[in-house]
Amino acid sequence: MVMDIIAPDAGRVEILGEGLSEKVKDRIGFLPEERGLYRKLKVMDTLLFFGELKGMKAAVVRERGRRLLEQFQLAGYEEKKVEELSKGMAQKLQFITTILHDPELLILDEPFSGLDPLNIELIQGIILERRRAGTTIIYSTHLMEYAEKTVDSLVMIDQGRKVLDGTLAAVKAEYGRKFIRLQYEGDARFVAGLPYVRSSRDSGREMEIELEDLSRREQLLRDLLGRVTVNGFQLSEPSLQNIFIRKVREGAGA
Amino acid sequence: MNKLFAVIKKEYKTIVKKKSFIIMTILTPVLMAGMMVVPVLLMKVDRSDKKIAVADYAGGYIQALNAGPAKKSAKAKGGLDMDAMNEMPELPGRISFHPVETGGRDAAGLLREYEQKVLKKEIDGLLLIPADVKSRRQISYYSTSISDFTTLKFIEATLRTAISRQLLLERQIDPAVVDEATREISMETFKVKKEGTTKSDSGMDYMMSLFMIIILFMILINYGQIIMRGVLEEKTSRISELLISSARATHIFYGKLLGIGLAGLTQVALWILLAVILVSRFSGMVDAAILSFLTPEIAFYFVIFFILGFFIYAIPYAFIGAAVNTDQEAQQFASVLSVLIIVPYILGISALQNPNSTLTLAASLFPLFTPILMFMRITTAVPPLWQILASIGLCVLTIWGLAWLGAKIFRVGMLMYGKKPSLGEMLRWVRYK
Repeated sequence: MVMDIIAPDAGRVEILGEGLSEKVKDRIGFLPEERGLYRKLKVMDTLLFFGELKGMKAAVVRERGRRLLEQFQLAGYEEKKVEELSKGMAQKLQFITTILHDPELLILDEPFSGLDPLNIELIQGIILERRRAGTTIIYSTHLMEYAEKTVDSLVMIDQGRKVLDGTLAAVKAEYGRKFIRLQYEGDARFVAGLPYVRSSRDSGREMEIELEDLSRREQLLRDLLGRVTVNGFQLSEPSLQNIFIRKVREGAGA
Repeated sequence: MNKLFAVIKKEYKTIVKKKSFIIMTILTPVLMAGMMVVPVLLMKVDRSDKKIAVADYAGGYIQALNAGPAKKSAKAKGGLDMDAMNEMPELPGRISFHPVETGGRDAAGLLREYEQKVLKKEIDGLLLIPADVKSRRQISYYSTSISDFTTLKFIEATLRTAISRQLLLERQIDPAVVDEATREISMETFKVKKEGTTKSDSGMDYMMSLFMIIILFMILINYGQIIMRGVLEEKTSRISELLISSARATHIFYGKLLGIGLAGLTQVALWILLAVILVSRFSGMVDAAILSFLTPEIAFYFVIFFILGFFIYAIPYAFIGAAVNTDQEAQQFASVLSVLIIVPYILGISALQNPNSTLTLAASLFPLFTPILMFMRITTAVPPLWQILASIGLCVLTIWGLAWLGAKIFRVGMLMYGKKPSLGEMLRWVRYK
């Protein structure tokens, strides 16, 4: 809707302090979830086309484009056709087209899907750099862990309904500090059955345990000792992952 | 406006840089020249020897047939355009007529035997001349192929002359008078135009019109398909989301049309240039009839009707690209559209012989048919100027309406994935926003 792809049924869209217009579109960078570029177009021509669509001058596109291609380790591919690039390269190219015009608002739909760890890191670095430069970045992701480390505020949507909205700190505070993060070795399945444990999420070597009451944490530690090897035991906030699952379950139950 | 220009530039460059564009630009005139020359050459060269058995119940005609070619009677009477091709070369005397010993058998019995021979290709055909041919004027020809106009016309004309001669001779008329009375007529055709009357070969005119129409027809379909595939590619690769999030849908749509249209126009311009060069270079070798046909006026109208035709057909092609999801679906719809382009082409064949009939007039004013039909009329018999202007006006109006409709359907269709939309849904898209 923000990108003028879908028109609102009611209300109006306001971005960067203005109503939606062609001018505003030039200040936004959008990375759609389903990636697509013209297969027959050369890399530099692709940048030129999308740059000019954002109202950039050709000379500026060339200069910035070259710099970005270098940053993304795509230098030397300017005259290659998009279809000759590997999938990862094409994704990086697409990301370049998104930030080519130095947008003030970046909207990224699943920016990391289909990328290898190296490229995920590369793009994470760029996102961080943009953020420091003052760009507002909105992205959607299923990688809760990454989101947890980067976002200032978040919105969670389940089946079209907003289930969470607020700054990261506020969202976490809502769930209180009743969580223990346990790193262990051995068989810890018995934890789920302990009377003072409200819920637990076992990942095999790490377990997130929610207590009825935080004062029972010493009891928990005592119960653990001798039955499993405890490598780590700390008080923690609930992970976003945990909140996510909980919210979705609540939604399904309701 | 800059964004519109960016889209035009990209679409134009994409097409013009394609190898197929360059190949088609060079190859089409060559093919066209080939198509003009080869059938004529084939007619001349590939006249395989024909062996026709003649069951001459009347008697005496086989001599006339075998003597025929020398008498130059193969020429069909002028006027009927289809014969034009056959008029060109003299018939080489390669058809041989062999008398059949009837041996008292009747035609039916003979036929049974010769049907087998025809099927086994021992002979090419059997000609039955009944005893009462003089009064009934009815002969029969049996062959596996009866599409060889030249031979058939030749037999008809020769026998007609022979019968006339015989009738006259029976009346004791001086053989010299008979010769004189049965001499062939040859007809020259002239085309009356505003710029003056030129001697022109009706057959050549017909062929040239046909070739121009075929080319017009081909490029209209070709560019329509290009735009359809382009839109479909953007849709399936989801580039459409990027485009619409960057620029107004109308700009993208019109930019696409104009960019691809310009590429088409470039091709047409190159063709005309190439034709001019070829004709001036090899003017000695080019038939005068072709020269008199390829006037600047024709080139001008070709360009005009290419532009009109392009928009009239490209917009519906773009609709299809935006409305469907897969190549197969697109081809299904596209074939329906091709029929719409073929209809004027078929109508045009009658239009060529009757360029000023009411039906032709009405059809050529119908915008979907105008580009091909009106151009066809212009190449054969220049219609009154008001008709040309009226047809162009109607086309422009139609294009204006289609463009408005197209931008709306494009906007919604481009972002609608999954199911094939019904007609009702498409109508709703038009009302959308």
